[in-house]
Amino acid sequence: MKMGKLEETLRLIKEGVSNSKEIARRMDISVEEVEGIIKILESMGYIEKVEFGSPACESCPLKKICPGSCIHFKGEIYQLRKSNEYK
Amino acid sequence: MGSFTQGLKVIALAGNPNVGKTTIFNALTGLRQHVGNWPGVTVEKKEGIMEYKGEEFLVVDLPGTYSLTAHAVDELVARNFILEGNADVIVDVVDASCLMRNLFLTMEILEMGVKNVVIALNKIDIAKKKGARFDIKKMEKVLGIPVIPTNAKSGQGLDELRRVIKAAAEGKIVGNPISPVYDEPIEREIEHVSKVLEGTPLVEKYNVRWLAIKLLTRDQEVIKLILRYLGQTKMDEILQHISEVEEYYKRSLDIVIANQKYEFIDKLMHQFVTHFGEVRETLSDQLDKILTHPVYGIISLLAVFYALFKFVFTLGTPIQEWLGGVFDALGSSIAPHIGDEMLRGLIVDGMIGGVGAVLSFFPLVFLLFIAMAILEDSGYMARAATVMERIMRKFGLPGKSFIPMVLAFGCNVPAVMATRTLDNERDRILTMLINPLVPCSARMVVITFLAGAFFSAHQALVAVGIYAISILLALLSALFLGKFLIKGEESPFVIELPDYLVPAWKSVIIHSWERSKEFLRKAGTVILAGAIAIWYLSNYPAPIGGGLSYAEKLGEAVEPFTKLMGLDWRAAVSLIFGIIAKENVIATYGIIYGVGESEVALATLMKNAMTPLQAFVLGLVTTLYLPCIATIGAIRAEGGNKWAAVAVIYNLALSSIVGILVYNIGLLLGL
Repeated sequence: MKMGKLEETLRLIKEGVSNSKEIARRMDISVEEVEGIIKILESMGYIEKVEFGSPACESCPLKKICPGSCIHFKGEIYQLRKSNEYK
Repeated sequence: MGSFTQGLKVIALAGNPNVGKTTIFNALTGLRQHVGNWPGVTVEKKEGIMEYKGEEFLVVDLPGTYSLTAHAVDELVARNFILEGNADVIVDVVDASCLMRNLFLTMEILEMGVKNVVIALNKIDIAKKKGARFDIKKMEKVLGIPVIPTNAKSGQGLDELRRVIKAAAEGKIVGNPISPVYDEPIEREIEHVSKVLEGTPLVEKYNVRWLAIKLLTRDQEVIKLILRYLGQTKMDEILQHISEVEEYYKRSLDIVIANQKYEFIDKLMHQFVTHFGEVRETLSDQLDKILTHPVYGIISLLAVFYALFKFVFTLGTPIQEWLGGVFDALGSSIAPHIGDEMLRGLIVDGMIGGVGAVLSFFPLVFLLFIAMAILEDSGYMARAATVMERIMRKFGLPGKSFIPMVLAFGCNVPAVMATRTLDNERDRILTMLINPLVPCSARMVVITFLAGAFFSAHQALVAVGIYAISILLALLSALFLGKFLIKGEESPFVIELPDYLVPAWKSVIIHSWERSKEFLRKAGTVILAGAIAIWYLSNYPAPIGGGLSYAEKLGEAVEPFTKLMGLDWRAAVSLIFGIIAKENVIATYGIIYGVGESEVALATLMKNAMTPLQAFVLGLVTTLYLPCIATIGAIRAEGGNKWAAVAVIYNLALSSIVGILVYNIGLLLGL
């Protein structure tokens, strides 16, 4: 069965291609299109955005002194969600 | 808004996030706005009044979404608003510079059977700059709805948009929207489900084709809705049918349908969008070819971190030495004013000496954080993440582990806590266990001191060497622990690489200060307490030197073991106190030698008592042995007693093996 661009992107992420530029190069499409596909896959629940810090950190007793809260990582990270991986 | 809005025609603004929807909303409504929440949820609801040619319209800003599935609350809010028929006109704000993903949402809206949709083709200027040309008339014809090119920032096209909204709301413009067409097996199933639904009251309220498509994707909200009308038996029958189609495609139908919808849009777009000019490779693309390359990327990473340490040492060492002199002078000036010998020893040698030895490293710590902030703000860290992720994956670590690993360079405690972001138990425990092997800023103090004192000509190289060995051991540990102790699956990830940017100095300084002030806070609390304890143990029951002090006895008890790696009782005591806080390793040496804050004198005395090989082993063992108490506590809190015990035993065993091996191999090589 032929794979579409959405599935092809998912397959590449699963294979370990970890940046949008490399996915774009392999699929011969623009980086903007890959980033658009990533947003669609996110809204469908296939991948999820990785947030720095977690909601659990809000209740952490070390929150006040934790330097983790000021870590600022440029670039967005998305992780494949297992529950939806080729269900 | 108040009751005066009743009877007004409702205009809903839909669209992806960051497409200029809010700018259009503000332009249409001016200051006549009201912000609240959608009923029952904490999603912001914005409403406003638009006036055009003497008539008023209620404009509702729907949450920005990429599709209309039932996965997120904001998507459900937007979907239900459209589905319930609350809007007279839907203005779909589309970003012309990212048309594919924007039209995906458009198709989802059109698929709901909504007729009165108007597209505001926004950011048209940016799209044109990228070389895109639009045939608007063709686009309107193909999509079957009005399309108004706009530039919300400059106001271009907004008057026309108001005019078309009014006409559509008054029924003067009626669209004939296109709807995606799918493969034959899917279309057949849509028809089958639609026929079943046609006999129910749902037909009066909803578009049957949309309900059928959503049922095929196993949309839980739609399943619940239809169940009320069909009953369980009929629903099971339909779901069984859907399973057969899924079996045919060998995967769930939501991804099959989304794929086909995407391909459908792709084909449509070719009819009204043309791209001129070749896509040129930017400087960022060229840099990325090197910096994210499987081989050159690793070489670049090592070079960048070597440059980072070179920068820290070159700039920081003179300031560090000056600061050491300041503490030295402080101790010397206070000493004559304290008559009591014990109190003088406690304040000058214990408190000022111990804390001063650590505080003099503040310039190095601050510069390290500045260098890290520059790497983050420039966009390099995201590239480093992709290089590291590739390596980490080979060692069985999930990509997401990179975040706690990066945090660990600052402090292992928040890094261990950050493992909460890993929802896979195996990944979480594995990352937690190897995290203490990543050198934190406290261990950087020890590494930089030893590298500076014993390897002044190659201090940056030695420091990078210890960092590289520690990270390699962390990766090998992941491989080992993952294979024998904690088994499970990996969780791949993808990074959207940001553009390279020149860092803003204000932001760099603020972030560096935020991180390094924790170091100062620690010096005034944990390290001060540790220094007082070390001073006491070194001076009671008799001053150090005669073999009677508690510190000497403690060190001598452990020395037979540390001797195997060439480390004497002083190193043993230092390592024991280092468990409270790693900086105490240096503070302890200062107090034992009675030179406290004088870092130069301490370095000279240590050089007389140790070889460079022993200093290298001490640096390595300090980096690898037991995590500090706070980190052990964090592992216990996050993973329980069992994993805290495993971390302690594993790190102790690993540091012992590595220390003994490095020392004895070094001796064999004549170092």
